[in-house]
Amino acid sequence: MDCRKTAEEILNAIRAAGADMGECSVAAGNTTEIYYESGKISMVRSVISHGASIKVIKDQKKGSVTINTCDSEAIRTAVADAMSAAEHAPADEAEGIAELIENKSFASGKKEPDREKLYGLMREFLDTVKVEYPKISFDSVSVGHSYRESVYANTNGVCLETAEGENSFSAMFMAKEGEITSSFNSCGIVFSDDDMDTPLLERGMTRSLLAETEQQVTPETLTGKFEGDVIITPACLPDILYYAQSNFLADGCMIEGTSIWKDALETKVASDLLTWKSLPESDELVGSSKVSGDGYVARDMAIIENGVLKNFCLSRYGAAKTGKTRSANTQMCYVVDAGETKLADMIASVKNGLLLNRFSGGSPGANGDFSGVAKNSFLIKDGKIACSVSETMISGNIAALLKNISAVSAERVTDGATILPWVQVPGITISGK
Amino acid sequence: MVFLNGTMTANASAAITGFSARVVKNGAYGFASSADYTADSVAEVVRSATENAVFLDAKEKLGRGSFARVPAIVRADGLDFEEKTAQKRIIEFMGEIDAYVAAHCPKLVSRFSAASCLSMEKLLRTSDGVCSHSLTPRSIVAVGLTAMANDGAPVDLYEPFGDFGSFEQVFTDPSQLHAQIDDLYEQLMRKCEGVYAEAGNKQAILHPDLAGILAHEAVGHTVEADFVQSGSIAGPCFGKQVASELVTLVDYAHTALGKRCPVPVYVDDEGTIAEDAVIIENGILKGYMHNKESAAHFGHKPQGNARAFSFSDEPLIRMRNTCIVPGRDKLEDMIASIDDGYYFTKTGNGQADATGEFMFGVNMGYEIKNGKLGRALRDTTIAGMAFDVLKTVDMLSDDLSWSCSGMCGKKQMIPVGMGGPAIKLRINVGGR
Repeated sequence: MDCRKTAEEILNAIRAAGADMGECSVAAGNTTEIYYESGKISMVRSVISHGASIKVIKDQKKGSVTINTCDSEAIRTAVADAMSAAEHAPADEAEGIAELIENKSFASGKKEPDREKLYGLMREFLDTVKVEYPKISFDSVSVGHSYRESVYANTNGVCLETAEGENSFSAMFMAKEGEITSSFNSCGIVFSDDDMDTPLLERGMTRSLLAETEQQVTPETLTGKFEGDVIITPACLPDILYYAQSNFLADGCMIEGTSIWKDALETKVASDLLTWKSLPESDELVGSSKVSGDGYVARDMAIIENGVLKNFCLSRYGAAKTGKTRSANTQMCYVVDAGETKLADMIASVKNGLLLNRFSGGSPGANGDFSGVAKNSFLIKDGKIACSVSETMISGNIAALLKNISAVSAERVTDGATILPWVQVPGITISGK
Repeated sequence: MVFLNGTMTANASAAITGFSARVVKNGAYGFASSADYTADSVAEVVRSATENAVFLDAKEKLGRGSFARVPAIVRADGLDFEEKTAQKRIIEFMGEIDAYVAAHCPKLVSRFSAASCLSMEKLLRTSDGVCSHSLTPRSIVAVGLTAMANDGAPVDLYEPFGDFGSFEQVFTDPSQLHAQIDDLYEQLMRKCEGVYAEAGNKQAILHPDLAGILAHEAVGHTVEADFVQSGSIAGPCFGKQVASELVTLVDYAHTALGKRCPVPVYVDDEGTIAEDAVIIENGILKGYMHNKESAAHFGHKPQGNARAFSFSDEPLIRMRNTCIVPGRDKLEDMIASIDDGYYFTKTGNGQADATGEFMFGVNMGYEIKNGKLGRALRDTTIAGMAFDVLKTVDMLSDDLSWSCSGMCGKKQMIPVGMGGPAIKLRINVGGR
């Protein structure tokens, strides 16, 4: 499918239907995946996909339709359905489409997968893990390539084109000793077509997570309750930052007015040690989108700089609805600046606490209160990793956690989607059985 | 469709169609799919799926035999539910719901209501001669309310309502939800004055919605045969006592206790006729959930748990309608039997582990003091080891309630039903 031609046809149909304005995103691509489960590489999968999403606005009333049959008749029907939906919707003065700032094209990666290479990476990974981490049992491993061409276009003349190919690797695993099994853990990596030679085992935190999982077969159950330091690893930090983004910074909570940071721009909301950015323009982050879903080129931005809130994460609509400025991007291309504390020193400084590799908890409340299970985690006692733990829960508040950060590690890890350090937070409630 | 504080923030529909082919050669699977449904693309997809299987067979040389053939059948299920509700009708309905909340819930700082309708139509053909044409519609209306507690903290509560069927069939009139919205608001007001649960191992009663997620997350995932093969706790527990003898847990195919389940499956996506899978019977672990391959591996009979969501998804071992079977107790007697504990009534999300360790977010609950319900609770989390926790079950209510808005994520999302009675047990609480 020619995405640009299809986008033009959709815009013509939108104009012909009498909409005041409209936009569309048209995409086509292919995905190849090599999949391991139940003890073997079991499947090779190829997916050819295309589709279009269409939005029309008439008298400030919106209707949206998504289709994946994109011939002329389907387009006319979809635009008519969107117009009908808009006709019956209530008006909203905040509705609109992106203004023309610049039209650009972005291209990266290859169109076709290197299936032999992907298979080779998978086979090498499985064979190496079998020798170096014999207790590891995989639930699933996936190695794949995806290529996607897309066009965002609207009736203001905006036309943004992307053509992106990238590779991905994910694994879900546990360790076994006889009939005893550890908690499962997982990792996910995105990598470019120019970076196909690095073994999967050496990417991101894969090796350390496998090694740590082997140490989690016989965890200890803590008893009682205490307040302690938690060291949040780069594997777990994205979840914590995402909670902060969705509860305090994103469209939903800002429009609802429930964000406790809604009036906190340019004020201190976190520890001086925290500088948190979202960098879709970074060459190091393969998984980022160069164009936002609402028709803007995605730009880098600081969310928190030295503890001060610099930007919300608002789309065009969220900004119009709240009277605030549209954000440079709303993605999760998280980059946290490295600190000055070595990870080993950080661990050595903890008298009683946890190394938190995964948090399994309910979504935090609107005020940021959270509680959940510390998974794949270790007890730190008198500056040393003492044992892995099970049935251990932690609770606290996301906003307070960010304020209380006492150290950020000098070391950082990238998984292709984020670049993150280890972060130390005191005062977290830790409870066992 | 979403109304947020009186504004419609989403007004969208989607029609996604396509087809796929899966072939197996000596145990190696090749899969391909396309959104284009033309003669040329069909030929291309079959060629690509075959070529993928040949590629993998040459590399891995798995050398596995074919599955036993199944009898050819032709079935049509649920096609009489094909009734698309006009967007106008849904907009008007949701507008009335939003207006009702605005008028009758005065102390809110924020409100949202959302309608979500999913209709999955599938046509399956297999080389054994199975031809199955099915339609599975599901319609959900969700209401979320937020108020400010006296301590300045925003407190929220959310409830989905819905069932199998088109929007028109499930929601005849907005007034049918008024009493439930009033009740939700009343609970929110109590939650605003609520207290934090105390952390520790506690005696508790789980509302049927939590019992359903316990059945799904804490037990269901560990007995999916692919997870068993990877090393889940259920492997070495087969045939052993894993729960109180009061507990029987079944993954129903399409009908439970004489009524249609929320997500009925009559033929799975490998062409196996679906039947109920008894997982735990009177506390003994009796079965797993299978696709054809895992059933052959374990020497069990496949019962129709191979399911795919989108046309571009391959079938995986999935749950359908997983449920703890009701007991003989009354809820009021269960509450009266607890001196110091909790009654947890609403859950937000849940996760499970290979070890059977599970976690659910709890969005609503009450203290139980001296056999009576006490103060409401703020958000908390409960957790435990499934087979340890299930051994502490000593009462089950005599009613069955299904949650029909469940979506299970395991590589692909897929709709599932979860159900059960109220259950009394001991569980870890992650309060303050």
